[in-house]
Amino acid sequence: MFVCGYHFPASMGNDVSFDKVIEKVNEGAGDLSGVSAIEVTGETSKGDIVEKFTVSPGSFLFAALADYYNKSDVPEKDGYKMIYYTNKYQISEISKAVDGEEEKALCKKLDDMNLYRIKIA
Amino acid sequence: MSALRQIAFYGKGGIGKSTTSQNTLAAMCHYYGQKILIVGCDPKADSTRLILHEKAQSTIMQLASEAGTVEDLELEDVCKPGAGEFNPEDDTITDGYIMCTESGGPEPGVGCAGRGVITAINFLEEEGAYDDELDFVSYDVLGDVVCGGFAMPIREGKAQEIYIVMSGEMMAMYAANNISKGILKYANTGGVRLAGLICNARMTDREYDLAKNLATQIGTQMIHFVPRSNHVQRAELRRMTVVEFAPNSEQAMEYRELARKIIANDLKVIPTPLEMDDLENLLMEFGLEEEVEVDAIGKRAEEA
Repeated sequence: MFVCGYHFPASMGNDVSFDKVIEKVNEGAGDLSGVSAIEVTGETSKGDIVEKFTVSPGSFLFAALADYYNKSDVPEKDGYKMIYYTNKYQISEISKAVDGEEEKALCKKLDDMNLYRIKIA
Repeated sequence: MSALRQIAFYGKGGIGKSTTSQNTLAAMCHYYGQKILIVGCDPKADSTRLILHEKAQSTIMQLASEAGTVEDLELEDVCKPGAGEFNPEDDTITDGYIMCTESGGPEPGVGCAGRGVITAINFLEEEGAYDDELDFVSYDVLGDVVCGGFAMPIREGKAQEIYIVMSGEMMAMYAANNISKGILKYANTGGVRLAGLICNARMTDREYDLAKNLATQIGTQMIHFVPRSNHVQRAELRRMTVVEFAPNSEQAMEYRELARKIIANDLKVIPTPLEMDDLENLLMEFGLEEEVEVDAIGKRAEEA
C-alpha cells in the first residue's frame, strides 16, 4: 500500500504501522539541517488563501513535509508545491499521533478540504 | 513486455466512476506510456467518450443488431483508437495509447444488460483485441453487483483487480461494501481480488477518515483521495480528460499520482465485507447516520 508517497509491499498488509512509515520518511528525508522552516498555505477551491503558517524543525510533520517537497515534481507556483490530499491527510494522521500539541493544532487545519501548498525556507 | 493486467472500476451509479476511470487511465497513458484497452460495460456507453472526444461510441450490441449478429462484426468496427495523444499513431506526447470499446446493452426495460457484457468480452477475446502489446485492459462496470450479469467480468475471471470508486456518502459506502461481497463470492473460484477503494470526494466532513476506515475494515487500502475540482467538469464539457485539458493543474497531478499507484500496486486481497450492522455503526461513528432510540423507531415526528 501507499503511505506518504512510499510503497509498502503487500506482505506488510493494509495497515502499516506508523513506526514503519516514520522510519521510511526519515530515511527518505535524509539530512534536513539546511531547512530552517516550512511555509504552508491553505486555499479554497477559488484560490483564496485562508491559512498561512510555518512548521519548525524537530517533528514528524516537518520531516514529512520537507521530504515531500524535495521529492515531489509537481509544478511550483511562486516556489510553493501543492500537497496531494491523500498525503496531507496521512501526514496529519501520523503527526497527531506522534508529535506535540503545536503540530496537532496545525494538523487540524490540514484536515479540512482546502488545497495546501508548501515551500521550504 | 510485462504481463497483461485486467482491472475493473466498479461503483455506485452516479459516483463519477466513468469520469474517474477515464481520467486515471488517461494519466497512466499520458505520464507513464501505458497501452490500454477500455471495455465499457455500462449500457449508457459513456466509459470512453472523454478518451474519444465524442458524445458516445456505437456499442457492440448496437452494431451487432444493425449487422444481424455479433459474428458479422469486425474488430475495427467496434474498437476505436483514442483521440489525439491517445491514438496509437500519435507519439508526440506518449508512446502509450488507449483503444476503446463499449459493450452496450438492450433497450430499457427489455432483456438482460449483463448479456451485452458477456457477448462483448467473448467477441473481443475471439477477435484478438487483447493483444500482446497491451499493458492493461480496463472494464468500467455499472452499479453495485445487484445483477449477476454486471458481475460477469468478476465471475468469469476476466477482471483480476477491482478498484471501487466511492465517496463518503452512505449509499456509496453501502455499494462499496456490496461490491466487496460480490468479489468475495468469486474470489476462490477465480482469481479476482480487491485492489483498493478510490475516494472520488464529495468534500464532506471527515470523508478521508471514513473512506480509510471502511477500506481498512474490508481488508483493503484507500488507494487515493481524489478531490473535487472544477477542472473535471470543464474538461468533461469539452469531452476530454483533465490531463489533456490542463496537464499542469493540481487535478491532473492527483490523477497522475493515482495512476502511479495503480501501476505499482501489489496489494490485492480477498475482501472481508462488513455486516449491515457494522456498516451502520461505522456510518454513525462518522456522523453520516444519527443513532435513534429504539422507542423512536417507526414513530412519526410528533410522536417521537
